[in-house]
Formats: sequence, structure tokens, C-alpha cells
Amino acid sequence: MAFSPLVAPSPSATALLKKGSATGQENESQLRHSSSDREITEQLNDEVRHKYIKAKKLGEGTYAVVFLGHLRADPSSFVAIKKIKVNAEYKDGLSMDAIREVKYLQELSHPNIIALHDVFSSKDQNLNLVLEYLPRGDLEMLIKDSNIHYGVADIKAWMGMLLRGVWFCHKNFVLHRDIKPNNLLIASDGEVKLADFGLARSFADPYLNMTHQVITRWYRPPELLYGARQYSGAVDIWSVAMVFAELLLRVPFVAGNSDLDQIARICEAFGTPTEDNWPGVSKLPNYIPADANHLIPGQSRDFFLRQFPTAGAVGADLLMSMCTLDPRKRSTAYQALRHSWWATEPRPTNKEDLPRKSGGTKKMGDDLTRRGGELDDQFKHAARQLDFSAMKA
Amino acid sequence: MAPSREAMVNRGDEDEVCPVCKSSRYLNPDMRFLINPECYHKMCESCVDRIFSSGPANCPVAGCHKTLRKNRFRKQTFEDIHVEREVDIRRRVMTVLNRREEEFDSKLDWDNFLEQREEIIFNLVNGIDVAKTEADLQKYAADNMRSIRANQVIEAKEVTSFQERQNQEQELARMRRQAAREEYENERKELLAGREDMLSRLASGRPADAAAIAREGQKVMLKKSSARRSEEERIRQKQAALRGTDAKKPGQPTVAAEEGGSGLIKGLKKIKTPEPEKPYDPFGGIIPNQRDYFTLQDHYPSTYLDPIRQDTRMLAGGYDLQEYYSRTMLEAFAGLGCFIDDELSQRQAHSFNVMKPVGTQGAALAATSTSTAGK
Repeated sequence: MAFSPLVAPSPSATALLKKGSATGQENESQLRHSSSDREITEQLNDEVRHKYIKAKKLGEGTYAVVFLGHLRADPSSFVAIKKIKVNAEYKDGLSMDAIREVKYLQELSHPNIIALHDVFSSKDQNLNLVLEYLPRGDLEMLIKDSNIHYGVADIKAWMGMLLRGVWFCHKNFVLHRDIKPNNLLIASDGEVKLADFGLARSFADPYLNMTHQVITRWYRPPELLYGARQYSGAVDIWSVAMVFAELLLRVPFVAGNSDLDQIARICEAFGTPTEDNWPGVSKLPNYIPADANHLIPGQSRDFFLRQFPTAGAVGADLLMSMCTLDPRKRSTAYQALRHSWWATEPRPTNKEDLPRKSGGTKKMGDDLTRRGGELDDQFKHAARQLDFSAMKA
Repeated sequence: MAPSREAMVNRGDEDEVCPVCKSSRYLNPDMRFLINPECYHKMCESCVDRIFSSGPANCPVAGCHKTLRKNRFRKQTFEDIHVEREVDIRRRVMTVLNRREEEFDSKLDWDNFLEQREEIIFNLVNGIDVAKTEADLQKYAADNMRSIRANQVIEAKEVTSFQERQNQEQELARMRRQAAREEYENERKELLAGREDMLSRLASGRPADAAAIAREGQKVMLKKSSARRSEEERIRQKQAALRGTDAKKPGQPTVAAEEGGSGLIKGLKKIKTPEPEKPYDPFGGIIPNQRDYFTLQDHYPSTYLDPIRQDTRMLAGGYDLQEYYSRTMLEAFAGLGCFIDDELSQRQAHSFNVMKPVGTQGAALAATSTSTAGK
């Protein structure tokens, strides 16, 4: 699909048109006073900044602060303003996460991807991203809450929205690289939106190495655990499959507490990767030869059906196709959306009727302040351990 | 042989004459007159048999050229043939225009409908604008076949349930009467038995005990009657409760009318016919693999790219050269589909609508609070 830089709501044109009409309160006089001798970029920035009013703080992390805001012109139109702390780590510039987020979000406009309305810098040179306000929390919240009951139809609806978002990213050659339930925010109408593009990047460049230290561990595919430096959209599909499994089981499916443990658990669940079922796997940089006496055979369809009875035969088949060990044989988002599961009963729930939970606003604040690839607070310690073992291996 | 009541009624005037065959009741005491709702001309049964047995024929009354069929002939209910005709017309119109009060938005609309119905009946009875009215009625009947049928079913159900209730009430009344009778009998029997018992005890007992025995007997009587009274009270309460549950039978479901009554009837409730659900589109309305400007080939020869085909390490990581081809082609042609002027005008029109779907916080809060309250 073709897209031009103008598709994203860039502030310049409208800001110019409305020049002088801003009704800023605190900075109004200052604005008028110095408008003549300031650079046009600064003027534009001020125009955008004055389009919004920051209301209350929704959450704060080491990396960003999220505010609830609204349009100055329309107090009922809410936005989330993510203010990235500039001095935290990168003293001489912007953090990679912020650049990535702006770069890719402004190019993607899709109902299942969080919308980036505007970008401006505030007084102390902090970068502010004006994001879509998603008040109903995230999927993780729903998975963890045992008071909330959902069925296959609901899962199908959520998975459909997630896969559409991922498909759209991949169609435009953007890898998300951090798909997990708490990056899947829910809009007020129930639509699931892919958020946190802090680890996103474009892909398919030949000979260009990409890092394998991405994607939260539980959702990381085997090729990244084996240190592959050239990979494709298949890494996101593995994460989607893990989210799918987690939605079905209501607990993370393969939750390793270190990278090595993660590999072991994946082998246990899906079979040991060998040259037979994954040609070339032994050439991957961090490949660990499996114990020849301990080879676990690849799992059959029956295993998935037994493990995920709620999904039904067709659903288990889709899940299996999305977590094939060999990334070349794994379904793409497009193939997954073509699967017959979407046409079988039950029909996906309408987005308005999906289960919901209050307290989503706070959760959104937390989700947006997190840095990409980070686990929740309780796993922070485990995350450090992971880095050690990864270096040794 | 005593003549039956029916025959007496049929007899009527001794000198009644069939207008067709001129035979009179004096000569033929069993003569019965029939009418046909086509023209309401009266004739005797033998004439009907004679003229219409071999299929439809014209009415034998001079000047009337209506074609009549034997099976439509029936006995007259009302003496006055005009009343008979009006009742017939009314019945016919009522079966077609059988809307129910629940189907209307307001009382006024319902009253308007009733008036409209009366007007139609009046027009038909008095021959005003008959052709148009009939056509309207026919069209309405054809358009609203389903709702007419549904309302007929409801009506029939109501009639039967009314009858059932009446029967039930009669049965209950009968049972109550019987219970009262039995109760009276029992009371009398007990009274007699008690008295007898007391007398026999008095007879067998010593004279000194007489007063004590009499007192005791009195007490037993009183106890029995009070026990009976409380028993009666209990039964009555039970029956009342039963009646209560009967009364609380669920009301008839109102049946939806379709497409607002074809213009003949106004003020009908708008029925929301649920839109047929579209089949689920996994792609959410975007057509996949739509390329306007190029077709993608499997292989583009290049000394720079071709070594990748042999690089197992890259391939094992999932790298796909096809994706690179696809991406470069996309990027090469990406700008061609963009018309900046169109997009600018569109964006200005939508600049504020873009953020609308975000929704208001109040709405979101209300939605979440109702859903949690429902749990």
C-alpha cells in the first residue's frame, strides 16, 4: 500500500493556516511578542504545543511520563501525551526508542495501530508524542483478571485485530519486535491497538545486521534466541502465536527465566530444532547443539489440540502454523489471516461486546512509560540475569 | 312430532315467497333461504341447488349480473340484509387491518388507525370510492402478509386463552361450592357425633362428673371448630396464591411489523430489522496484495543479491529475499498513488474528526462501570 508522508497528521500545514489564532493562555503574550524574530520551526512547534492541554499525569517511568490531555478547542477529545525524558540516558540527543516510535508510527495509519496525532517539543527540549487515548487498558489486564470470562469468539476477535495490525506493519515493511499482551491496548470501542513502537524498525534490507536482543523473552522466537542477525516478519508472528496461546491458557505459554531456559522450554514444547526440521539452524551464531540423546521430536497436530482444546481443531491448526520452528515455514500474517479459522464458528465477537474492565487509564499510563523489551517490575531481576547468560552463550 | 326450535325460527311468515321460484312457505314448510355475500339476493335452498349445482352461474334476480358460486351461499344471520352486508365487510376489513395497539407509537396514532379503519368500512358499505379502497386494501394485505398472519395467530391465542381462563374460573367456583358444601356436612356430622359421645359418656359416668364431662365436650367442640377454621384459612390462602400465579402469566410478545405498513397506516412503531451480518473479513476491509503499478517477479537477477540465495545462515534466520524485492518495488512506486491536493482537502475536512473515535472519558467510564455492575 502506498503511503505518503502527508498521510500522517503532520502539524505544519494546519498550523500555518491557523497562525495567530491560537488562544494559549500562559504563553500567549510571549508568543506574539517574539513571533517575528523566531525561526519558523519554533513557531510551528508552538502552534502544535498550544493545540493541546495537558491534564493529569497517568503514569511515570524511567523513560517517559504519560499525561492525559485534550484538544484546546474540544475538551471532550482526549489524547495521551507521552513525554520522553531527554536527559535520562542520552545526553547528546534523543533516545533510539523515541526516534523509532515517531519514525514508524507517523507512517502507519490503521485501526489496529495506535495513532500518533502530533509531535512537539516542550520548553525543556523534551519530546512529546501526542498519541491516541486508549482508556480500556490492555490485553494482559484481561488475561490476568480471573473475574473476567471470555470465550473463543472473544479470542478470535482480539486475534483478528492483532493480526490485522501486524499484517499492516509487515505490509509496509515495519517490524514491531515487541508484541506482548501489555503492548496491546484497547480503545474505548473495544478495538485492540498495537502500541509501543520503541523497538520497531524496517526490515528486508540485505546484508544489514539487526540486533537479536529484541522482543520480551517469553515472546521471543527461537531464531532470535539463536542470535540470527537477519530475520523477517516471522519474529512478530511467533510473538503473536505466543499471545494467542496465552489468551487460550490465561498464563504465558513458554515462560523461561533466562534465554537458555527459554530455548529449553521451546524445545520441550515444540520439539528440538534440528537440521531436519530447520535447515541451516546450526549455522546460526548462538546455536547450541542439542544433546543427541535428548532430542524431542516435533509436536504433532494432536499435541496442539490437546494443549489448547478451547481453540478447536481449526484454531489449533492456525496456532501450530504460527509457531513453526523454522521461520521460513512459519505462516506470515497474510497467510494467518487467510486461514479458515476466521470463517468457522463461532463468529468473532463484535468489538463493542468484548469483555472489558475498568481501571484501564492507569494501565495505559504504565504501558506507555515502559521502555521496549522491558518486563514488568517483578521480573526486572530476572531480566538482568538474562543479559549475563546471553553474553556467556 | 314436535317441530324443533330451529324449524320454528326458519318458518317465519307463512306467506314468505322465494323471489326466484315463487314457491311459498305455505306450500313448502321446510323451505330455507340462503344468501350469497356477492349480491345478498335471497333465494331458497332448492333454487340454489338447481341453479348453481353445475358450477358458477349468474344471479337469477333480474338486473343482477353477479356470478355466484354455490359454496359461498350461507344462511342469513341478521334480518336486515344491510346489516348482514356491513358485518361481512367489517369482518373482512378487520382481518386485513388487524394491527394491535402495541404496534403504534402513541395513543393518538392508534386512534387515528381505528378511525381510518372505520372510514374504509364506511366507504365500502356505502359504495364510496370502492375501487381505490379495495385496491389499497389488497396492496396492504399483500405487503403485510406476515404481520397480518402473526397478528391473527396472536388473536387466536388470546381467544383460546380467554376461554381457558373462563373455564378455569368456572371450575374453581364449582370446586369452592363443593368444598363449602362438604365442609358444612362435616361440621354437622361432627356436631352430632360429639353430642352423641357426650350423651353416652354422661349415661355411663357418675352423676358427680356430669358438669365436668359437659365442659370437656364443649371444649373439644370448640377446639375442633377452631382447627377447622385455621385449616380453611390455609386452603383459602393457597388458592389465592394459585390464582395470583395464574394472573401473572407472561404477556403475549408483540410481533414486529415489517417496513412501516406500506404507507396506508401511519404512526407504526419503527421496527429495527437487524441488518444481516456481513461475513467476517479478516483483513478488515483492506484488499490484500493490491498493486496498481507493478507485478512482482520471483527473481530479479543481481550479482549483489544472488549470493543470499546460498547463504544458509541468513536464510535460516528467516530472511526472505522476496520481501526485499517486494519492498524495493513498493518504495519505487509508492509516490505514484498519492495526490497531495486531494489528501490536503480531505484532511482539512476531517482534521478534527480524526480524534473523535478516541471517545470521551465519561463514556468510557460509564461503559466500564455498567459492565462491572452487571457482573
